[in-house]
Amino acid sequence: MLLDVIALSFLVALLRGGRIKDFPKFKQIKLLVVTILLQACAVLFPAIGGIFISIAYVFILAFLVFNREFEDMRIFLIGWFLNAIAIWSNNGKMPIDLVQAAKLPYDLEPVINGTNFKHSVLTESSNFPFLTDVIYMPSIIPRIISIGDIFIMLGAFLLVQRLMNKPISLLQLREGKSYATKN
Amino acid sequence: MRQKTDYANWIKGIVVQVGFVIAAIYIFYTSSSEWAVREHWGVLSTYTLLTIFSCFAPVRISNTILTVNNAVIFSGILLYGVWVGVWAAVIESLIIAFLVRFNPLKAIINIGQLLMTIWTVAFLKDWIEGFGTVSPIISDLILAVVYWFVNLILCGLGISYFHQMTWARTVKMMAKGFTSTYLLLLILAGVGSRLVESYGPLPLIPMMIAFITISYVFHHYYDNLQRLQQKVEEVKSFNHNFLTTMAASIDARDRYTSGHSQRVAYWGREIARDIGLSERKVEDVYIGGILHDIGKIGIEDEILNKKGKLTPEEYDKIKQHTVIGYEIILQAGMFNELLPAIRSHHERIDGRGYPDGLAGDEIPLMARILAISDAFDAMVADRPYRKGLPVEEALQEIRRGSGTQFDPILAEHFIRIVQRLPYEELQSIIGIESIPQKQLQEAIR
Repeated sequence: MLLDVIALSFLVALLRGGRIKDFPKFKQIKLLVVTILLQACAVLFPAIGGIFISIAYVFILAFLVFNREFEDMRIFLIGWFLNAIAIWSNNGKMPIDLVQAAKLPYDLEPVINGTNFKHSVLTESSNFPFLTDVIYMPSIIPRIISIGDIFIMLGAFLLVQRLMNKPISLLQLREGKSYATKN
Repeated sequence: MRQKTDYANWIKGIVVQVGFVIAAIYIFYTSSSEWAVREHWGVLSTYTLLTIFSCFAPVRISNTILTVNNAVIFSGILLYGVWVGVWAAVIESLIIAFLVRFNPLKAIINIGQLLMTIWTVAFLKDWIEGFGTVSPIISDLILAVVYWFVNLILCGLGISYFHQMTWARTVKMMAKGFTSTYLLLLILAGVGSRLVESYGPLPLIPMMIAFITISYVFHHYYDNLQRLQQKVEEVKSFNHNFLTTMAASIDARDRYTSGHSQRVAYWGREIARDIGLSERKVEDVYIGGILHDIGKIGIEDEILNKKGKLTPEEYDKIKQHTVIGYEIILQAGMFNELLPAIRSHHERIDGRGYPDGLAGDEIPLMARILAISDAFDAMVADRPYRKGLPVEEALQEIRRGSGTQFDPILAEHFIRIVQRLPYEELQSIIGIESIPQKQLQEAIR
């Protein structure tokens, strides 16, 4: 889903001289498994898919809270939190702006007729429209993103840097210190 | 009086914890309807990116770090209106709340003060525009100052409440810390906004280059300043060590008075504490005690170590140690606050002391304190050729000298201090040969 961002992040990490040393351990991985199962349920039972997706977001937020000691997880938390507001307030589906989506080379039919398990059409009655998928992102892979997705992309970038043993600390950047954290 | 401050604090608590929160919610709510407009989403996402970027692009000034967020918010107000400023402020607060520390109440209070600032500036902007006669460049300048001022006042109110300080003092402290850089950033934001308004986003490129250059210069400047401060500290601590070593070397040279300076310093500190001086002054007295005989470095060994009675000429030379000590410390440029103590610790209340023949209150307090501890130690300490006086007799002497040689009130305090001490402790203090160098340095610091 974020393949291009992740690939780009790996490229940056490689250029910075990063190498994978060992895979970092996450706490409460089972919460992620639950999230995936819930999403699968949403596909299987499209009629009440919104409920499954909404609950899935609770679990993913919980997973991030458990792993909040890492800055990338906290950035993810902002992004998923903003997306969660949009999804919870719009019946468990992320509304997508068709005006922007028309620029994409995909078939929008499933979104329009409501069979897409994750997205719905953005209308006047949608809540928090500014938090839904309304921003056209032309490259690298064209897509429609939300404000929350911006944070998720930043989090993904930071996570990859950490995986490649070259973590970047936003907090240290903020305090005017060198950007790299000490290992 | 106490009740009055309690009451003021209570009012402050209500304003901050209720007023700020209500303001935050109200302004947030009124802006959110603007966010729902389709045409505004592009601006919102641009300002999200700008805010994320500026959260992590700090400008360092001597003791504080400023981020450029306020400049971003200000440009949002000027170019689009209050809703963009509010959006940027909310995104910034969200980042800080999640990334730095999560304290929901403080986060919302912070949003409250920021949103009130934004709202005030936006309101004033509309009001000035209503006249139609003020050039936007001038009005931007006024608004920048207003933004800084309102932000400072409201922020100061919140901080003063949480840190239990007075409002005025907090504001003053904050204003001193970052006013110039803060205003510079806001004014740049104003000019930048007008350029973008007229020429599109291209002027941002030279603006960015100018900005990066400025922060580079700042960075270098403060780096150098810090290095300089470090050097000054080093010189200071070197001087301290040098003088204490010198004091110790006097004790070492004068074999009659080994450890004398330390004991005088000790008793001086006890008196100073007993009469209720501040901890800083108490430490000053201690250092004064350490250094009080430093002038003996200029007295010939033959006189200093002479067995038997001194001739009047020799005694006159000994008397010179107060003035020599004074000159040394004066030249060292350190411990200036101790100068009177070193010069006057042989003065007498009745005016018959040396070197200046000061009397009564003319003698600095520190010198009067040290005169007593100096005399006491001289009496009770063992000398190679004689045993020291018993403590009771020495105290008797001090009692006798009270009002003529010594300050009577200080003498009374001193006698009480000594009499309070258990016998063993007293003997161990009198028997102190010298205090390890490290301990001395700690006391000096």
